[in-house]
Amino acid sequence: MRRRLPIAVLVLALLGGAVVVVPVLALAARVPWGRLLDTLTGEGASAALRVSLEVSAAATVLSVLLGVPLAWVLARAQFRGRSLVRAMVVLPIVLPPVVAGVGLLAALGRRGLIGGWLDRVFGVQLTFSTAGAIVAATFVSMPLVILAAEAGFRGLDPRYEQAAAVLGASPGYTLRRVVLPMAAPQLVAGAVLAWARALGEFGATITFAGNLQGRTQTLSLLVFQQLQTDPEGAIALSLLLVVVSITVLVTLRNRWITGVG
Amino acid sequence: MRRSLSMFVGLVGLATACSFGEPSSSPSTTLTVFAASSLAVAFDQIGRDFEAANPGVQVDFNFGSSTDLAAQIASEGTADVFASANPLAMDAVATDPGVSDRTDFATNSLVIITPPDNPAQVLSLDNLTSPQVQIVIGAEGVPVGDYARQMLRDEGIDHAVLTNVVSNEPDDASVVARVVRGEADAGIVYVSDAHAAGASVMTVAIPPEVNVTATYPIAIAASAQQATVAATFLAWVRGPAGQAVLRAQGFGPPPDGG
Repeated sequence: MRRRLPIAVLVLALLGGAVVVVPVLALAARVPWGRLLDTLTGEGASAALRVSLEVSAAATVLSVLLGVPLAWVLARAQFRGRSLVRAMVVLPIVLPPVVAGVGLLAALGRRGLIGGWLDRVFGVQLTFSTAGAIVAATFVSMPLVILAAEAGFRGLDPRYEQAAAVLGASPGYTLRRVVLPMAAPQLVAGAVLAWARALGEFGATITFAGNLQGRTQTLSLLVFQQLQTDPEGAIALSLLLVVVSITVLVTLRNRWITGVG
Repeated sequence: MRRSLSMFVGLVGLATACSFGEPSSSPSTTLTVFAASSLAVAFDQIGRDFEAANPGVQVDFNFGSSTDLAAQIASEGTADVFASANPLAMDAVATDPGVSDRTDFATNSLVIITPPDNPAQVLSLDNLTSPQVQIVIGAEGVPVGDYARQMLRDEGIDHAVLTNVVSNEPDDASVVARVVRGEADAGIVYVSDAHAAGASVMTVAIPPEVNVTATYPIAIAASAQQATVAATFLAWVRGPAGQAVLRAQGFGPPPDGG
């Protein structure tokens, strides 16, 4: 039997949908369809697309590689100041990205706390490099992995781990064969969110890594720069960003997160 | 509930009036000026002087990139006066929604800045071509970046210098910030920027025969609500009081001599 939803909920839901969808549709209405192909196949656009894909993929891998162990520690280990640590590691979500960039400069810039040492001892410079763009994207997107993974780990019944231990499984084996598979939906959801955040990243990247074609200029940065000279071209490029992210999100959702969604 | 809300609003209003308003001489006219961000320091001062000389007038500034400001004026039409860092942005506003009393009021030129310790030993424009010098300039489409590229092209060293460019920045302030923090070895900005940065940068002059001149136009927007006060403001900026402030901030006189 079909039950009717309260009308107020429907109205609010419609309004909520409109808030998100209308600006994107308005953007689509202003796309210069006639010269879309020229804009998207231009040298700047293809270089920016390549940098964007490289940077967001690398940032997602790093976020999972470092964020999932951290989430595990936060979910399972008992230590003083854990809630403070938890608050600190998700800080990048609320920090204005430009400030995040300034923080990265203070730490890893050529004259930063660690960056100065890296430069002197190893001759490694992160600013103005693709590696720097990856660091910036990882900084802003890893908290999304941590939040999702920690929620996943906390939602697991510890008795599964206890049972595995009783049956003689080592902690490492339990983690690999019991915990990670069971938390997989949340881990994947966290990774997808992190990737989407990394793809759209702007403020921390331009502040820390700068803006150079083929090296640190991602699609977001190119869009920002194009708005100065060619607003229509910038809108076409944003459309590319929208299409790429929708394609990836829908594909992943169908393949991985059917159970969640 | 309603009463307590209105009381709250009343209290806030009272507090605002107490802290900001001067009850006897509350401004009756507000002049809205859209100005290029490179003018921020000079125009803040000019605005204060103008208010002091014209009781009852309050000047509100909206500083930003000239291109962005031109787009805002076309779509929102809330500006009385537009002061642009380049003629192109003014041309756009002249087409839509239109301007009157357009005149040039200042010039600017380019200069090289380095961190105070000048780690890459940049002492001349030609030094920017040496390998390993990390340079930041304005992006294409940003006036300060376009002027820099034009100058380098005229000198025939654009290829060598652009190879050393590590970042194309969205505005002149970002170029200055990179150099002040020592992330880049050198940057090309306006003389007025270097002036504002003071001792936090070292300045390497570019000879006048090589340098380019950026002309700053000002005009009354067609959408102006306060055309009379706007005209007075334009005359003030072009007059001795305005010019003295601009000169003190490193700007040159307008091409017609002011």
